[in-house]
Amino acid sequence: MKRYGEHRFPGKLFVVEGIDGSGKSTQLLLLHQWLKAEGFGVVFSEWNSSPLVRDITKRGKKKQMLSPATFSLIHSTDFADRMERNIIPLLKAGAVVLCDRYIYTAFARDVARGMDPKWVRELYSFAVKPTAAFYFRVPLETAIQRLLVGRSGFKYYEAGMDLGLSADTEESFRLFQGRIIEEYEKIVPEFELTVVDANQAIEVEQAQMRQIVRSKLAQAKRLRVAP
Amino acid sequence: MRETYGTVLPGMNLADLTGKLIVIEGTDGVGRSTQIDLLKPWLEQEGRAVLDTGLTRSDLAGRGIKQAKEGHTLGPLTLSLFYATDFTDRLEQEIVPALRAGFVVLTDRYIYSLMARALIRGIDTAWLQNAYSFALKPDAVFYLRIGVDDLIPRVVFSRGFDYWESGMDLHPSEDMYESFRKYQTALLAQFDLLAEKYVFDVIDASGSPQGVFGQLRDRIGRVLSGEPRDPLFSLLTAPPVPPAASDGDTKTEVAPVMVTAVAQKTPARVREKGPAREKARKGGAHAAAKTSGGAESV
Repeated sequence: MKRYGEHRFPGKLFVVEGIDGSGKSTQLLLLHQWLKAEGFGVVFSEWNSSPLVRDITKRGKKKQMLSPATFSLIHSTDFADRMERNIIPLLKAGAVVLCDRYIYTAFARDVARGMDPKWVRELYSFAVKPTAAFYFRVPLETAIQRLLVGRSGFKYYEAGMDLGLSADTEESFRLFQGRIIEEYEKIVPEFELTVVDANQAIEVEQAQMRQIVRSKLAQAKRLRVAP
Repeated sequence: MRETYGTVLPGMNLADLTGKLIVIEGTDGVGRSTQIDLLKPWLEQEGRAVLDTGLTRSDLAGRGIKQAKEGHTLGPLTLSLFYATDFTDRLEQEIVPALRAGFVVLTDRYIYSLMARALIRGIDTAWLQNAYSFALKPDAVFYLRIGVDDLIPRVVFSRGFDYWESGMDLHPSEDMYESFRKYQTALLAQFDLLAEKYVFDVIDASGSPQGVFGQLRDRIGRVLSGEPRDPLFSLLTAPPVPPAASDGDTKTEVAPVMVTAVAQKTPARVREKGPAREKARKGGAHAAAKTSGGAESV
């Protein structure tokens, strides 16, 4: 069983992390476009994308059946499935793999729910260490303002309503995301995440990302992809 | 106060869990569910409220695991975590509330079966110990022990060879019979190591169901009345396993199945020390690697 940092694959893995509203998904989309244009065989792998466990997770959330522990374990099941069937084979084939959220999301989110930090880290120790992981640091209020524009409200688990922090969804979201930011700030030095100041203009952030990704792709092989 | 094997889950209060947690362990087809079907009415006649539970019975993940296994598409880590989800849902939703209400919880398998299966699929001990470190320590673990030669006729004359019970995902052999023999032999070797490490109460399951039931009834009776589980137990229990040479073993892929299959030819009695155990260890049964501490260290 290979552990974090022990895998050696020809492919490259780039991940973005940060709270909702930090702009990380937009940045990953722009990175994707650029890498495609550069001729790399690039593939998206999304959190919660495994068809196998997705339905179970959805039902658990909808029926509010999940405790902090089962929330953590069902997401790790999903992640393991993607790791074993999707990410590792792609990296072996030499692809550039992009992930919107990775193990650090679980570290931040599950610990904010009260799970033991060491337990969660060991649980995910099978994960491949990314070539680079970007953390989009944003003040909580900025993120909330961005989110309030785009959507009608927050979902139960996303707002941490299971923790009983507040009966008001928006207030609960604020408190819960605040805890998540605290956890991210511990993760950044521990796992050497690359911090992007997410208060900048989109194109400025993207230029910073591309510079770093380019430096990591110097020797990457370019898969021939169908036009 | 009840203990776990390490960490405690958020919101889980370990005080006042006054019921008894009794685990029936053993390999596929050994007769665990037959015994539970006998034990439950007996306990109820004795005036004890009983909750019986077992793998893949959780509301959250039970159906999902069954569906996934039909597709034969899960990797070993994914399957392990899926089972861990199922276990945790039952622990939080059924087992702990029942123990708090003073029930006798009879569980058909516990974390040990899940560990044994994962270990022969190349998942390492340290990872499994962490994953299940929040599990409650049971009041007793009864291990229904059987040799593969006694097991095979039972399976042949009941339900036949099953894909998973034959470890076909590991491709030990093209033929279902050979696969079953190899896989179960390796699995039993893992069980024996776990039996030592977690101090199982071993019951010879090669006899008649009624005979096994009689033994279980006596020993469970002692657990419920708070007596030591077996007057001879302390004499029979082995001293802790000395530290093995290698640990943090990362090269266990499918190999342990084959290697331990050879080692297991010597009928290793769990509590007997000597050549059988030595052989099993040399044979590459790595699960013992971390057993240097006390019997229940995780």
